[in-house]
Amino acid sequence: MNYKYIGKPYLRPDAINKVTGKAVYLDDVRLPGMLYAAVLRPQYAHALIKKVDTSAAEKCPGVVKVVTGAGCKFRYGDNIRDLQPMAVTKVRYIGDPVAAVIADTPAHARAALDKIAVEYEPLPVYTDALDAMAKGAALIHEDMDDYWRLPTLKQTSGTNIANTYHLKKGRGEEGFDEAEVIIEGEFNYPLGSCAAIEPHGTIVWFKEDNTIEVWSTSICPFIIREDLAHSYGIPIGDVRVHITDLGGCFGYKSDITTEQTIAWIASFVPGHPVKWMGTREEDFTSTLLAHGIRTRMKIGAKKDGTLVAIKTTLYHSGGAYADTAVNVTIASTHNSTGPYEFKHCDLTGYTVYTNTPAVGAYRGYGHQESQIATERMMDMLARKLGMDPLELRKKNFLSEGKINAVGEKMYKHNGNILECANRVQKMLAESVKPKEDDLYYYGRAQVTVMKSPKGAPFSTKGCYMKMNVDGSVNVNMGGAEVGQGLRTVIKQVAAEALKIPPEKVRVYNEIDTQFSPYEWQTIGSMFTTQGGRAIIRAADKLIASLKKTAAQVLKADEDFMEYDGEYVYLRNDPDMKVAVGDLARGYITSDGITIGELAQSVSDARLPRYSNPDANGQGSIGVDYTMGSQAVELRIEKKTGKILIDHYYSVFDVGQVINPLQIRGSVLGGVMMSIGAALYEQVIFDKDGKIVNPHYFKYHIPTFKEAPEQTIEFVETPDPIGPFGARGIGEHSVIGAAPAILNAVYNAIGVDFNEIPLTPEKVKAALEARKETK
Amino acid sequence: MSEMITFTINGEERTVVIEPGMMLIELIRDVLNLTGTKHGCDNSTCGTCTVVMDGKAIKSCNTPAEKAAGTKIITVEGLAQGTQLHPVQKAISESGAVQCGFCTPGIVMELYGLLESNPDATEAEIEQALNKHLCRCTGYEPIRDGALMARKLIQERKK
Repeated sequence: MNYKYIGKPYLRPDAINKVTGKAVYLDDVRLPGMLYAAVLRPQYAHALIKKVDTSAAEKCPGVVKVVTGAGCKFRYGDNIRDLQPMAVTKVRYIGDPVAAVIADTPAHARAALDKIAVEYEPLPVYTDALDAMAKGAALIHEDMDDYWRLPTLKQTSGTNIANTYHLKKGRGEEGFDEAEVIIEGEFNYPLGSCAAIEPHGTIVWFKEDNTIEVWSTSICPFIIREDLAHSYGIPIGDVRVHITDLGGCFGYKSDITTEQTIAWIASFVPGHPVKWMGTREEDFTSTLLAHGIRTRMKIGAKKDGTLVAIKTTLYHSGGAYADTAVNVTIASTHNSTGPYEFKHCDLTGYTVYTNTPAVGAYRGYGHQESQIATERMMDMLARKLGMDPLELRKKNFLSEGKINAVGEKMYKHNGNILECANRVQKMLAESVKPKEDDLYYYGRAQVTVMKSPKGAPFSTKGCYMKMNVDGSVNVNMGGAEVGQGLRTVIKQVAAEALKIPPEKVRVYNEIDTQFSPYEWQTIGSMFTTQGGRAIIRAADKLIASLKKTAAQVLKADEDFMEYDGEYVYLRNDPDMKVAVGDLARGYITSDGITIGELAQSVSDARLPRYSNPDANGQGSIGVDYTMGSQAVELRIEKKTGKILIDHYYSVFDVGQVINPLQIRGSVLGGVMMSIGAALYEQVIFDKDGKIVNPHYFKYHIPTFKEAPEQTIEFVETPDPIGPFGARGIGEHSVIGAAPAILNAVYNAIGVDFNEIPLTPEKVKAALEARKETK
Repeated sequence: MSEMITFTINGEERTVVIEPGMMLIELIRDVLNLTGTKHGCDNSTCGTCTVVMDGKAIKSCNTPAEKAAGTKIITVEGLAQGTQLHPVQKAISESGAVQCGFCTPGIVMELYGLLESNPDATEAEIEQALNKHLCRCTGYEPIRDGALMARKLIQERKK
């Protein structure tokens, strides 16, 4: 489709603030009378707290107050209320808050931490779901049965299993009796970190008038507001949450992370804002981690390659608190089919308590963690059937008319995955694979992937729009700008919908729950789709209101009014017109009498007919999908086992490109992150549950010289939900890298690897083992 | 012991009292309130705290504050002349190199330090400089594009 402002590379409205150092991030907020908190973390990952002595710390220079969890009576959480702001009777992971110092400077607060004396009684430590599920394992949450949880969730009493999700489609596991070939495998996507360059931080201010004001590095201000209001027994409207510019999110700044802890601390010094800025180490040990998913998968097929049945059992090391992990497990489980139709599905996901930091969202939200299994299995199955792996995939795509695991029928508008696969196949065919030489083995592989959003019944996004007397427009929304570029998207969608140049659209900067429209959370690659729709709805209402006023001015019927962005005019006599700016405050007649109303509007948009899953996990829970194909060309250095990524290909059906510069940037970055996960990144625990590598120089994220060349293209099959046909793309680019790389390594050296990160040591050991068997 | 030092920052001479153990980043952010310079890690790995001291890009998080004495320091706030962006800022803001923007001040200062002293820096020199900075958003390609665009703008300006 040809649009005037959609599909053009407009520049980000926030770029200039960011290159001049004027963007305000959390740590840049300075408030009068501000105090600083430092938080004590335990020496044990699982232990009873016997005694806390704060007396020495209280005497340290600059110390205002030392806080413990004693007396804390409430728990919080959106899915399972298993969290407490500070440890009360026991610690459950190495970053659990035990106590905190409030002081006049951050340095004074940190210095006094050492003076807090804590006696512990250590308990057994489990850092992997399988160990925590073993018979006789010590319980991490003894009182789990007493916790409030969503009615759709179910714990297993007397174990560490916080929830079991199960999906059955068709005849479930019985369906394997229709299969002629069956393969099985186990795959592991270990714990990692989003590791945004800006660490987490929070400021909480309990005010004398019994209101609470918060600033946080979060993408869910409205959840924070509701949660704190509930915990402290005040009206929701009396909690005001500000979201500053955010230095990256990638998932782990969603849900409540550190806000309740800092609020608990600040509640002891009412009248003073209390700031806590996480160190890089705390960002690893004491906020949300990612992944931690082990997948056992069984796939049955006909000899001609038709997929028949799938059984997935997913063991999720969810961390010490399962509130944020449980939905990752669910999304990972029901999306473990990848972009393929299986007649029979038996999918089970266990969310298991472990003595590790809680797992939360990470770009991809469970999809890459289980689709590493699906995409490895497709290549393995193809090998067993003697088929081309891409042909096997193409035969089974979730294309028009197919039914996915949750029972949704797929339509043409869900995207043309075949076209994505064909384009990537062509790109690979045009690049000649080098022959093995003295230094390197060469490999390549292509995968196909799918992602749905993880919605919720109330997952809506609001939009406030007002027109000014010069015809310019202010758009205010609750979407958090984490770097994804949603302000640019808002500008372009609003401009297109209002038929005015983007230069006349001013987009909000900071989010403030006092003034911003409601937004559930800015998650799930849903902003463009839902937020965009909210903008179009608001624009339609605004235009209708302009027409209503103009009809009075022009003394004609409303349905004769036409709008072109500059004027409202009479359809049958365009010379009869009134400028939109003259209608903005209502229309002021020559005698000063004003008619009509302010040109402003309010709207919101959800995923249409999202529903909770039924007892078999069936329901309209995905609603919208983005599918695509990715491929990698890599080299393995013979001497070291090091994998070098030469070229990475991505083609996704995004419905409609809104901004070509930004969408390429999004995919470039997502691919780079997922290559990091596949080759370098893992949060490593010792046997006592301590994190061995909580720093960038030990937890290596990809650097400039490790960035491969990337070819990125988009297919545009318009989506009926999103604005002007656009659908979500923020997370999808991370899904393919791990299986593509593992499949390409098999292509290069004929060795199957089923877990990441695939470090040089592992590859070198395999190369040496292969030599010995030759 | 507290110490009094004098230096020039963004063209302005300042005399301040510094505490023992203070790092340059604390002097810049907390004493001078120039919050454009960012703090991203604990071990001088990420590079977002980079400023230019006597024409050279350095990490302010591992530079003791007393080293500032007698030097000329430029931070990201010191580049633009009113609304006129420095070529590095212009290029980086237009090439897609900015997403979350948290690594941006460090990258801008790294390129400013490199290209103002060596407008003909080779691609390898630019790569070497940028390899000292972590970015989690962009996959680096748009940062390289911005750096090359900045080099061109600076070369043209000097003609």
